[in-house]
Amino acid sequence: MKAVERIAQHYLLKQLPTATALVGVDGILVDASDSWLHTFGLCSKDAIGILVYDLFMGYNTDCGKSLRECLGKSTAQTCRFKKGDGSSEVWYENTFTPWYDERENLIGSIIQAQNITEEIKKEKELNRMINLLSTKSEVAKVGCWEYNINTEQLFWCDETKKIHKVPASYTPNVNEAISFYKQGYSRNKISMLFHKAMEKGIPFNEKLVIITDNGEERWVRVSGKPIEQNGEVVKLFGTFQDIHEQVLSELQTKQSQQLLTTLIDNIPMNVFIKDTDSRKILVNKAECDYLGKSHEELIGTTDFDTFDKESAKISVHEDLEVMRTQKPMIGKETLCVKKNGETTHFLTSKIPLFDLDGKVNGLIGISMDITGLKKKEDQMRNLINVTSLQNKKLINFAHIVSHNLRSHSANFSMLLKFLANEEDETEKERIVGMLSNASNNLMETLEDLNQIVDINTNVNLEKKPINLHQNITKIQKNLSAFLEKHKLEVENNVPENLEIQSIPAYLDSIILNLMTNAVKYRSLDRKLTIVLSAKKHGRGTIFSFSDNGLGIDLEKYGNKLFGMYKTFHNNKEARGLGLYIIKNQIEAMGGSITVSSEVDKGTTFNVYFNEEDK
Amino acid sequence: MCILMKKISSIFIVDDDPITVFGIRKMLKPVALCDDVQIFQNGKEALDALLKRMDSGGDIPEVIFLDINMPIMDGWDFLEEIMDLELKEKIIINMITSSIDPLDHQKWNEAKAKCLHILNFKNKPIFKIEPTDLDCIHLAS
Repeated sequence: MKAVERIAQHYLLKQLPTATALVGVDGILVDASDSWLHTFGLCSKDAIGILVYDLFMGYNTDCGKSLRECLGKSTAQTCRFKKGDGSSEVWYENTFTPWYDERENLIGSIIQAQNITEEIKKEKELNRMINLLSTKSEVAKVGCWEYNINTEQLFWCDETKKIHKVPASYTPNVNEAISFYKQGYSRNKISMLFHKAMEKGIPFNEKLVIITDNGEERWVRVSGKPIEQNGEVVKLFGTFQDIHEQVLSELQTKQSQQLLTTLIDNIPMNVFIKDTDSRKILVNKAECDYLGKSHEELIGTTDFDTFDKESAKISVHEDLEVMRTQKPMIGKETLCVKKNGETTHFLTSKIPLFDLDGKVNGLIGISMDITGLKKKEDQMRNLINVTSLQNKKLINFAHIVSHNLRSHSANFSMLLKFLANEEDETEKERIVGMLSNASNNLMETLEDLNQIVDINTNVNLEKKPINLHQNITKIQKNLSAFLEKHKLEVENNVPENLEIQSIPAYLDSIILNLMTNAVKYRSLDRKLTIVLSAKKHGRGTIFSFSDNGLGIDLEKYGNKLFGMYKTFHNNKEARGLGLYIIKNQIEAMGGSITVSSEVDKGTTFNVYFNEEDK
Repeated sequence: MCILMKKISSIFIVDDDPITVFGIRKMLKPVALCDDVQIFQNGKEALDALLKRMDSGGDIPEVIFLDINMPIMDGWDFLEEIMDLELKEKIIINMITSSIDPLDHQKWNEAKAKCLHILNFKNKPIFKIEPTDLDCIHLAS
């Protein structure tokens, strides 16, 4: 019966899926399941009766307990055994349970073995991962946190605590965690984000400022991600990173960039940066405004896209020279012509731009618009020219005045001296007569001078449009008696609709003087004919006055012709004033007069009416 | 008053101002003895007369009073013409002007250096004819 029972027991045991063995208190294997025996590479008939210590010979425990200590104990024991090393190692977890007989006598141990190699591997992997994670978070200064909504428990990893400068033993809660954030924006923001993540499941990632436990302000990046279960947020998990240094350097970079941008954009000069192909890679506001294009439109363009061909050629050549020679071009006066023909004068500097290896990779250009200055300079130069011309005229006039007045006063002095020493009465009377002549001459001279001064001082007399043809006809009529007397023929070829800008009185004086001049210096050999013509010339008009009179040797007298009191013919009527006066009148109106002549053929005067003041 | 009457064969006065001419003649009277004083309105007239005298072997003027500002041919132009003439005797030329233009004075200096004749520069008013205006010998002393 006992044997039958034993065999039945034996079969039952043999088939157990869990590796199970029965060992007596003496350590002798009483029975075992096939699965148990299989782990030792045994079959049942060899195994029964052997000492289990021998079987466990190649095994190590990890708990420090020996097999002997585990066997035959009245309490259950667990021990892990390892066989082999490295990749071939196999782990078993053995449970030693006390084995009693019917009378509750301890007769041995029931050993149950479980292959836990996979679990051990996973455990090791997990440890490795945890290690890795903590190292990583330590190196990257990235910490993590976790909040359980149900238990209201907040977990901080070591790194997170380190960033907060709290001891490892510190246990955080939500309120305290939030109060670490700097009052104001940071604290309000994190409260809001945390709330939103909990209530609405919205993740966040934000740069904020905390004040650490030792009172230091630091920038951190905090992120949070809700973890849902059955559509409900149960946990928040997030990272926590110290980014103080990055933010500071970022801030510094931003500040210096801001400074540079503000400077470049607001400087009242055109600033641009070009690459080695002379393409613009940066332009400032002034440059955009000047070219009338947006920043985006200008990037990548060359001067050929914005200026006319000639300007662009010169400018690009400068660019390439600066980059080739690596020598800056400083303060060069340049002329830029835009595609629409608009010209601008610039004071341009081009400076080669080096990369970190010292190689030229472009240039910085700075141009200042000096068109206004240029214009002023031109105006000034004009003014200087006009002034020096006026000055010359004044000096000339002063000499004329002094000469003419002096000659009279000299005569007075001389005659008076004679008078004082003269005793003869008739001679005295003669001297007095001469004195009165001298006085008349002086009066006449003063009147002449006055006339000249009038012309040169009344520069503000207004010019009016005058029909030249009609004006000539009018003067002809006024002079009709004079003209008839000298049998003068006037050919008025001036176009009937031609108008000129002139001061009326001056125009009359010019025509009158030229006419009387022609009569005075007519040739007695032929009938005097005067031909008048006019045509538009640029913005002004040329009025030509030709006669067939005596003519004048211009080589001899050309430079004196328009001088005061210069006469060149033996003519009693000549006073040497007419041409001087009309020259002054024409110049006062901004015009000029020229002469061409051939002796005994005739003379042609060309009067240029400059009609700027329309 | 005057130490010696200088005898002069011929004098030219070239000036278009009758008062100056009158003055010169009047001032000449007490210092010079001359039967041949000729008046000209301008340089051209004087030059023509001079050339005529040279042709006909007449008296070449010993002294010329020459105005600068005159019509047709002024004093400077007259001087240019005189310089080119082949004359055996030196002429004393007194340039008379009321001009205080420094350019005239400069021109005179240049002309004096070039001219073989004796060139004096007299600014108006003139009150007296100096011996040097009539005699080159006095210049040397």
